[in-house]
Amino acid sequence: MSGSGGADRKSKKGNRAQVWEEAGGEFYQESYPGATTSTSNENADTADAAAHRDAAAHLATMLPSKQAQHTMGKATTRRSRNEGKQSTRKRTGNRSRFNTVRRESNINDVHVSVLPDFAVENIPNEERTWEEIMQIKAMPVNMAQKRELKAKLKSATKLRLQGFEQLKWQRRKFWQRCKSNWKEFYTKLELWQGSLKTIEGNFGIGVVSYFLFVKWLMFLNIIIFALTFFLIVLPSAILEPGQLGQCDPAAEDENNTSIACCADKYQNYTSSNNFFYDLVQGTGWMEKTLLFYGYYTNDIYTLNKEYKLFYDLPFAYLVTALLYFLVSLIAIVKSAARGFRERIIEGEGQFYQYCNLIFGGWDFCIDKLKGAENKHKAIYNEIKGCLEAERLETEKQNRSKKEKCQLLFSRSMVNTGIIVLLLVSMVTIYLVFTLSRSLLREYQKAEKHFLLFFEFMPSLMIVSLNLLLPLLFSFLVTFERYSPIVVVRITLLRTIFLRLSSLGVLGASIYRLVSCDRRNGCNCEEEVPLCWETYVGQQFYKLAVTNALTGIAVTFFVNFPRAMLAKHFENCRFLKFIGEQQFELPNHVLDVVYSQTLCWIGSFYSPLLPAFAVIHCFLTFYVKKFACLINSRPPSQVYRTSRSNYMFMAVLLISFVAAAIAVGYSLAEVKPSRACGPFKGDEPVWNTVKLSFAKLPSWIQGFAFFLGTAGFTMPTIVILLLALYYYNAVTAANRQMVLVLRRQLVLEGHDKQFLLSRLSTIIKQQQQERLKNAIPPPPSEFDTLLPPPPPEVMNSS
Amino acid sequence: MGNKVVTFSEEQIDDYQDCTYFTRKEILRVHKRFRELSPSTVPKCMTGDEAHTIKVPLNLMETLPEFRENPFRKRIFSVFSSDGTGNMTFEDFLELLSVLSEQAPRDIKVFYAFKIYDFDGDEHIGPADLQQALTLLTSNELNAEETSQACTKVVEESDIDGDGKLSFIEFEHVILRAPDFLTTFHIRI
Repeated sequence: MSGSGGADRKSKKGNRAQVWEEAGGEFYQESYPGATTSTSNENADTADAAAHRDAAAHLATMLPSKQAQHTMGKATTRRSRNEGKQSTRKRTGNRSRFNTVRRESNINDVHVSVLPDFAVENIPNEERTWEEIMQIKAMPVNMAQKRELKAKLKSATKLRLQGFEQLKWQRRKFWQRCKSNWKEFYTKLELWQGSLKTIEGNFGIGVVSYFLFVKWLMFLNIIIFALTFFLIVLPSAILEPGQLGQCDPAAEDENNTSIACCADKYQNYTSSNNFFYDLVQGTGWMEKTLLFYGYYTNDIYTLNKEYKLFYDLPFAYLVTALLYFLVSLIAIVKSAARGFRERIIEGEGQFYQYCNLIFGGWDFCIDKLKGAENKHKAIYNEIKGCLEAERLETEKQNRSKKEKCQLLFSRSMVNTGIIVLLLVSMVTIYLVFTLSRSLLREYQKAEKHFLLFFEFMPSLMIVSLNLLLPLLFSFLVTFERYSPIVVVRITLLRTIFLRLSSLGVLGASIYRLVSCDRRNGCNCEEEVPLCWETYVGQQFYKLAVTNALTGIAVTFFVNFPRAMLAKHFENCRFLKFIGEQQFELPNHVLDVVYSQTLCWIGSFYSPLLPAFAVIHCFLTFYVKKFACLINSRPPSQVYRTSRSNYMFMAVLLISFVAAAIAVGYSLAEVKPSRACGPFKGDEPVWNTVKLSFAKLPSWIQGFAFFLGTAGFTMPTIVILLLALYYYNAVTAANRQMVLVLRRQLVLEGHDKQFLLSRLSTIIKQQQQERLKNAIPPPPSEFDTLLPPPPPEVMNSS
Repeated sequence: MGNKVVTFSEEQIDDYQDCTYFTRKEILRVHKRFRELSPSTVPKCMTGDEAHTIKVPLNLMETLPEFRENPFRKRIFSVFSSDGTGNMTFEDFLELLSVLSEQAPRDIKVFYAFKIYDFDGDEHIGPADLQQALTLLTSNELNAEETSQACTKVVEESDIDGDGKLSFIEFEHVILRAPDFLTTFHIRI
């Protein structure tokens, strides 16, 4: 029986929902069948009294907990040759049977294991043997035994598979080999393996999960980049443009406001600065490149006239935007779902926080003295924190009314303060934006670098607010006296609101600038850029550049000197206070999430921005590695991998929704500019979709319209609601079941205790009796003492 | 690589591949690491029975960077060594790293984790084992009262049958609910 547990469990590992059931099932399956076998053997020769003492001792070991102990002992002690053989056979027999018999009554199982082994064993074919060899590695025995086992399995007689079966097996073997080859190849390819190991050694797995997140984002951006590059950039770079509408000044009214003329006007318009300024602002020579929206035309490229193959760029442009949002959503949801599952398991186990700390607390990856010291300290803190929290909990219940009022007051004050701060920062951004516009207009002839400063004023304002306000937030949150986890969450939430709201204000200011009626001219007002989409693209490009540069600058020119100060003047308390930094995960997460938001929004207006984002993520990895390994010391807080992964994804999802709303609104509502881009004209971009939709065959249109009618939507909603309700009910029932089973297990435990005590008293009685009259008691008495059969619940579920 | 010395025979490599979660390359890397510990006693060529006879003593094993700071290192080595002393043969070492590798499934990790935490080897994790684990974990900073408090908490949380200690099944059940266990109980080599 010993090894079969491991191998058998493996096959059912996927089904996490059944873990309890499984645990319960094994509880019995592992103990009873074997136990009954041994007693029936034992009962066979009950003639002499000595056997009885053995039987009694055996009975004691037979009860659930003892049996487990017995099993474990057997698995690890070196077995004799013969015993090993037997256990192999049993394993073979049991595995094939376990899956089928498992839920049926236990008695069957007992019979199976009582039966002679060869009855079950004589059918192994090549495939089964191969499977067993594959499973050897999952057995908790030492290498010598494993090898022995393998040799035995190999030399054992087996049936050759015939025909199709043989083919199937060969294919399985082939796949297995391919998979392991691929794995070997893949691990070689894996990026940043060494860096991750270093970080792991110093900071533990919680911080590594952040770096894995950065890596994940980089791959996401690579996919987005591939989409935009192959669907938009490449076609418009290599395909030759079709016939453009020519601007004919003579045929126009005096303003030349036809779309073609506006486009001409935009083509001839140049804003020239020097090379460097243009590079950071995306103006001048950069403006009319593939980098920005304005370059792309509303051409329908002809690929092949004979076969009527066309490439509709406007449509492709739109589809690409939708696609990259969709891909991002799927990616986020997929990894968030994984985290969510883990969280549910953890949520169920919130009663296991001490166990989790002690058994899962130590990070086996840590291999640096400093990291280990910190980990010791962190675990110490956590345990103390837990004990403290319990005390606080009781204190909280005993908190006086006055204290409650005080806390409530201070919390509401802090919250108001933070809302005021957010509003002030939003107003500031708006003011700075308008100020920068008016300054730019006023001093058009001023020095170049002044102009550059004016251009960058909004971006700089946003970045500096993003740097300063979080510090203020983390200071304010100390007055609120939340528990550490809540503190992390609430600061994170506030900061993400700050970042998104600053972006929102910028968006709104741009929106005010560009949403106007262009029917009477190429543009509404003179100072509004001819091609506002390019303008937006430039703004986001600038933001991305500023964000990247400040990130690097702050790390190397502010935090690095600080860390050096703290290192070299360790006895000066003031310098230490200024210089020492912790690696605070939430802030760093926000940095990358923010740049990802910029990428999502900006990619529509600047299709090559994802490339920038990829490079940025790549650099971020190294910058943050520097920040982590050299600037900071490990956090005094334990960051749980499961918890933090979920947190990353939640934050990312919030900003994704914000970005999607922003881009979606601009697609559906804002009129594109007349002078440039794939959608030049007077109608919102969404009209392209409507137009292409109108070209589809009528039955598809009819079907799509049907999807929109009440006749379809109402039933769908009802069905979805019902499904939701059903799953909700199932969850509730399962939860209830878990509780019931748990209670039952506890009861069984008590039963066992009770039975054991009964047993020992009876054995004592018997011994006394035997001493008295020296006659062996009847054997049947032991059978009545057997533990009760497992309850019905185990089987029914 | 002019003078190519065969470290293992094909058959051995094949066996190791089937018995561990490592690929051929990784097995050779493990051998390299093992040999670095004690180049004088561990031969480069292990085609005979060197793999399970030549032992590297515990104090040398402890110098491995991956285990240097691990509070449970002594216990880990003694669990995985075939004679229980902590002196490891190559095969023991390979087995150890295979269990701690990322590919190893949960069950086998749980099995060995239980053995590691079961310091006194009575097949149960009792209060004494827990106290020892806690002392190692926090490098003896908790005072006696706190330690015993935490230990009672652990037993309270996980003890199902009410015998005041954790059996393997109880331990497994608890570990299932500790989502960090799988990520923390591994070592990259």
